Amino acid sequence: MLKMAAPSELFCWKAGLGLPSVNTDCLIVLAYARFAGAPLKIHKISNPWRSPTGSLPALRTKDEGSCSQPSQIIIQLRKQKYNADYDLSAKEGADTLAFISLLEERLLPALIYALWIDPKNYVEVTRRWHGENMSFPLNFFLPGCMQNRQLERLRLIRGNSSLEAGEEAENELYHDALECLNLLSQRLGSNKFFFGDSPSSLDAYVFGRLAPLIKIRLPNCRLQQNLKNLDNLNTFCCNILSLYFPSESKEGVNRPMSSTQQGSEFDNEPYKRRKQLLSVLVAVAAMLSYALLTGIVAIEHMQEEEHVSPASLRGSSQDEEEEE
Amino acid sequence: MSLAAEAFVSQIAAAEPWPENATLYQPLKEDQILLSDSASSLAVQTFLRMCGLPVLVSCRANAEYMSPSGKVPFIHVGNQVVSELGPIVQFTKAKGHSLSDGLDDVQRAEMKAYMELVNNMLLTAELYIQWCDDHTATEISRPRYSSPYSWPLNHILAYQKQWEVRRKMNAIGWSGKSLEQVYEDVSQCCQALSQRLGTQPYFFSKQPTELDALVFGHLFTILTTQLTNDELAEKVKSYTNLLSFCHRIEQTYFKEHERESQSGSSRHSKGSLP
Repeated sequence: MLKMAAPSELFCWKAGLGLPSVNTDCLIVLAYARFAGAPLKIHKISNPWRSPTGSLPALRTKDEGSCSQPSQIIIQLRKQKYNADYDLSAKEGADTLAFISLLEERLLPALIYALWIDPKNYVEVTRRWHGENMSFPLNFFLPGCMQNRQLERLRLIRGNSSLEAGEEAENELYHDALECLNLLSQRLGSNKFFFGDSPSSLDAYVFGRLAPLIKIRLPNCRLQQNLKNLDNLNTFCCNILSLYFPSESKEGVNRPMSSTQQGSEFDNEPYKRRKQLLSVLVAVAAMLSYALLTGIVAIEHMQEEEHVSPASLRGSSQDEEEEE
Repeated sequence: MSLAAEAFVSQIAAAEPWPENATLYQPLKEDQILLSDSASSLAVQTFLRMCGLPVLVSCRANAEYMSPSGKVPFIHVGNQVVSELGPIVQFTKAKGHSLSDGLDDVQRAEMKAYMELVNNMLLTAELYIQWCDDHTATEISRPRYSSPYSWPLNHILAYQKQWEVRRKMNAIGWSGKSLEQVYEDVSQCCQALSQRLGTQPYFFSKQPTELDALVFGHLFTILTTQLTNDELAEKVKSYTNLLSFCHRIEQTYFKEHERESQSGSSRHSKGSLP
């Protein structure tokens, strides 16, 4: 059936850090769209204020407005007959709901902590990426705002209003997440996808939540070390990346190599020197102009008069000599 | 509980047997307790009965504040205080009583997942209906929640709780949902549970587990609690195997209790299933 109506538009965070999108909700929606074969017009942006709902991801349909939550976007796509869960039995549908709940309650808090709350990861990975990729002047204050929002969200999800970055919170969250990962690994077993040979919405959710933990290299995340031991989950993610996001996975392989293996310091050093020289020159120029405009101006004028007066004396003596 | 505290508690717990005077604390049953707390409390009571562990139920107006995590119910066993079903299950396991030992790894994964489903959808829906639906909040939740306190504390506490719950709904993305959508979610959740239960007596064939206790706690409370309208109960009633599941557990574990407590039905809750 040829669809004449214009396709819906999907606004996502752009690709980075080795993934088709740096945001976990966007990954879920992108994966589901690919699984269901939905022809969406995808806008990859780095400014959440440009999205129709003010946050990313966002789906804008012609008739039914916009929505932002991944679950709502998936429902919207299902209404348009793009349903990746079409072949699932009723029991598999029930299991889908249950395992998605497990992910949201156990794994998502740890993911939020690892990317946004842990100080080392936030400064070196998340804030750096957002600072480099968002437009001026948003990149100065928006990452900080986003971090506060994520901390608030984490506190409300866990029901612990005094949760702070620290070892206690880290241990608790990572313990729950590891249990969840083990349970997922046991459920997946050696299958390609969770239900049979074609992926469903549960696969989209698991991919969206797992891929950042597997692909983004975080300096301080014990969970990543434990995740490396769960081979079937690693294979699951890499499989989906290579099958459904082939172009992005090739780009992603190159980017982390250039930025981390060569060492970020070497890349930045020539720019660092240049910046230092420029700033020194600007400072010297500023000081000189300030001096010219206020104090030293007077001294220079006096020097000129002094030069003038001996010259006039000499001139008069020369005249006298000439006269003589 | 932090990991270190958990390990410590487990060690101490393992040392002593279950005492006779273990107590469960919850808010006042007739006047104060709300649907979500009542469901959680019933789930814990059912679990302990399934394990064959005796517990006395004590109703206190300040149960929420006594609890170590701020959530009810909590149990006082020996010299330890443990709140919420998850930690209580671990605590009883440390004492050597467990319902899920016979499950294999895949089944345990499913059990944990379905427990999270109930927490994520049913409990959140109950909280939403109680506190985010203006009609229910004004008629039932705020008056009941603040009934032990005098003016002006009752207004302050009630609004504070409502504000807290609304912020949580905002954080998890439920604030944009309408009441109809929430009922739809409840229906989906019940359908998933009904599918999983099928025609078996319990969720994992012959033996009940903590999942059965949790599901019973929530469904029984929904069915026997009168809110401003009956729509929530109707959603559950449309699944006959869930109804018979609740009947079965009520008959097996609460028959004696019902014979003992002959109190007439209160305005808020009825005594048994219709």
